[in-house]
Amino acid sequence: MSSTTHFQVVVVGAGPAGIGAAIALSKRGINSTAIVERNDQIGGIPALYKKKKGGVRTFVRWSRGGIPVFGEEYAKWLGSRLAKTKTRVFLQSQVIEIDAKERKLVLVNPDEGQMTLTADAVVLACGAREESIAERGWLMGSRPMRVYFTKQLLQLVDGNGLLPMRNPVIIGSDLIAYAAAAKLKVAGSENAVMVDNRPNPECSIFERLYFRRWSNPTFRGLTSKSVEVVGSGSASGIKFSESGEIFPCDGIMVCGELVPNSELALMGDLKVDLSTRKPILGKGFQMSESGWFAAGNILGGFHGAEWCYFNGQYVARSVIKYLSQSG
Amino acid sequence: MVSQVSSRGRLMYDWPDDRSDELEGLSEQSDLHPYDVAIVGAGVVGCALAYKLSQYKLRVLLLDKNFDVGEATSKGNSAIVHTGFDAAPGTLESQLVTEASRQWPEMAQKLKIPFEECGALVLAIDAEQRDELENIRAKAIKNGVEDVQRLSAEAARQLEKNIPDGVYGGLLIPRESIADPFTTTIAFAEVALANGVDILLGAEVLQIEDADKPTKKLITASKDQIATKIIVNVAGLGSRKVADLYGGGKFDINPRRGQFLIFDRYSRSAIKRILLPIPTANTKGVLIIPTIFGNLLAGPTAEDYELDATDVANTSIDMLQSLLSGASRLYPAIVDQPVIGAFSGVRCNCSQGSYFIRCNDGQHGVLTVTGIRSTGFTSSPSLADYLVRELHEKCELKLEKDPEAVDSRPESSWPGWWERPYSRNGLIKESPDYGKIICTCENISRGEISRHLDSPLQPRTLDSIKRRTRAQMGRCQGFDCQILIAEIISEHCDIPLNKVTKRGPGSEIVYDATTIVATEERG
Repeated sequence: MSSTTHFQVVVVGAGPAGIGAAIALSKRGINSTAIVERNDQIGGIPALYKKKKGGVRTFVRWSRGGIPVFGEEYAKWLGSRLAKTKTRVFLQSQVIEIDAKERKLVLVNPDEGQMTLTADAVVLACGAREESIAERGWLMGSRPMRVYFTKQLLQLVDGNGLLPMRNPVIIGSDLIAYAAAAKLKVAGSENAVMVDNRPNPECSIFERLYFRRWSNPTFRGLTSKSVEVVGSGSASGIKFSESGEIFPCDGIMVCGELVPNSELALMGDLKVDLSTRKPILGKGFQMSESGWFAAGNILGGFHGAEWCYFNGQYVARSVIKYLSQSG
Repeated sequence: MVSQVSSRGRLMYDWPDDRSDELEGLSEQSDLHPYDVAIVGAGVVGCALAYKLSQYKLRVLLLDKNFDVGEATSKGNSAIVHTGFDAAPGTLESQLVTEASRQWPEMAQKLKIPFEECGALVLAIDAEQRDELENIRAKAIKNGVEDVQRLSAEAARQLEKNIPDGVYGGLLIPRESIADPFTTTIAFAEVALANGVDILLGAEVLQIEDADKPTKKLITASKDQIATKIIVNVAGLGSRKVADLYGGGKFDINPRRGQFLIFDRYSRSAIKRILLPIPTANTKGVLIIPTIFGNLLAGPTAEDYELDATDVANTSIDMLQSLLSGASRLYPAIVDQPVIGAFSGVRCNCSQGSYFIRCNDGQHGVLTVTGIRSTGFTSSPSLADYLVRELHEKCELKLEKDPEAVDSRPESSWPGWWERPYSRNGLIKESPDYGKIICTCENISRGEISRHLDSPLQPRTLDSIKRRTRAQMGRCQGFDCQILIAEIISEHCDIPLNKVTKRGPGSEIVYDATTIVATEERG
């Protein structure tokens, strides 16, 4: 039989937004808070940008004049702040069931098996992922190996010391894409060919100049309506459908274009815009069911770690207001 | 009594730098004791045939050039278990499909194949089509599918509330079903192996010697020589190439591509049954198909390619857009459903007609089986029975039942996504790995991945784990779990991480197995 534990607030996701919310709740006298995290560490995506000699500092923080730092450093700082609170952290815990009306979450983790948490309020800070090839709508072709998302690049390069490709093509042209190009170059690859379905890169000129220090990708705006992935075993090129032009490569990065991780919201029948996957929100980041809130990159768009951290704190204030009104 | 272990067949992999030990003695051994039957092609038909032959006292070898069973045509289809209601009456195809559809429910239970009798609904969307429903009903009855029912528009909408308001009625086919196509092929092969069939994967047949003699020799890319009395060519799109090696007669095949769109799981609650349009003179139209995994599919297209075309398995934007508009005629709100992926199934189209089967093709003791199109998934058990009879009657294959042969898989073989390990009391306490969720879209645990790595066919590639566990098959398409799974394969099977592949050599996860990341900062 699974046990049931009650908390005043349960936060789902221990990235910057979730940790920000937990810290703010604790500061304002909420003593019973839990964070549920599916990974075996806290810190979310920033924690994957390891601090290494020759590594690329990315724009995690904006507040102090936008000084780029390693994501890992920022995640450590978050962790040390969180450790000072009484927040209960459940690692390697996957939410498999949600009852929105009862504010009930069923988790699975290796220590307890199945367990049930109930709460007076729940904050979904589940972050975002990069859009898959099919979801982008302008990329087709074969489905070979070595078509990677940025998260996978970080796992390979920083986590395992493996260089996945020498001649990369990068799909997308935002900050994440330029950071990936830099990361690859530093790890030993050639300058990337960057392809996006827009005439100019999404990154600002200032940001591009910053990354110039490490790499100088060639940008190719989309001249035809779609591009095709080429390759049978592994990716071997990208083909512009109309012109037939092929850029050879030995790996493809699919970067940026974040999609909110709103799966749990959908699981609990909370309202979500299906085309953007953004939760539909009321005042104070409240979701469609009372006592449910959303914070961080699950809101949609692309936000840096520090933005998410502050947003989590802001949403916590709204949670406290809700608790005082309902309790 | 022969123990379970010693009666098991040998499992051999011809990895470029990690050949199975048993392969070294294979040539010599088969020279002394030739196989009774060598099946070239481990797709659903080849595996089903191995399964059926394993019920007899025979020496059988099943081989394939890929590094898993069901790695080609059999992995991309609609996964419908047809009743055969709309087949051309009187053909071998219709006969085998009808026969198989009655075997499926019991077989699925025995082989632990997830299977659901979801039913199908043919919809008439204008007045002219309404009259056509009667013709389809008559055809169904001719095909022995007598339980079809005509439905009024209201009755159809009561069954499926999301079909268009303007439908003119429908035809219900209650026994039309869906199943897990990956597990089907794997299950056939696993039972065959348990009953003593040898399985050789990663070995392409490049040459056949002594095809005209009673004992023939298959020669693989690695120069292994396999002596066999009978060759069965079920190599799908490779069947022409294999037939040329033994001088098989004329037949022409080509790949016919069928593209499908995959919708996220939330869509499955909207449509319960397979929805079919009325076929026109030009096209069978776009179907909406629930999958056993809980998604919806829209498809297929039918695009013919040359046999040697390289881009057959691609997907194209224009076709996928036309699929979406086709599907919206049956379920208008499908356009709002998130698409999580697209895939192409490649069917083997034969110009001389589908289900092209020729015994003693060019040589005595050679059976050619080709042109098995999409219905082959459904018909595989009855087609295999038919092939066994052909071999017995025309190739003098002696059939003596093996009393020790099993025809089912153990209860523990159900895939984890079908019978959730975490809902079993106490399992996670015993093996905590079942509580470590790796694929967060489909909630697949580390325990399930390890269990499948240890399963009878010892799969080693990312795709073979995907087909067995569903990990990487969800909406994020591996964003969260692909590298973690590669790490688990590497750790569990003691393979260096940089040698882990998606589907065998040439699809390694890194471009060059030797490169380690540079650590010094550059200029």
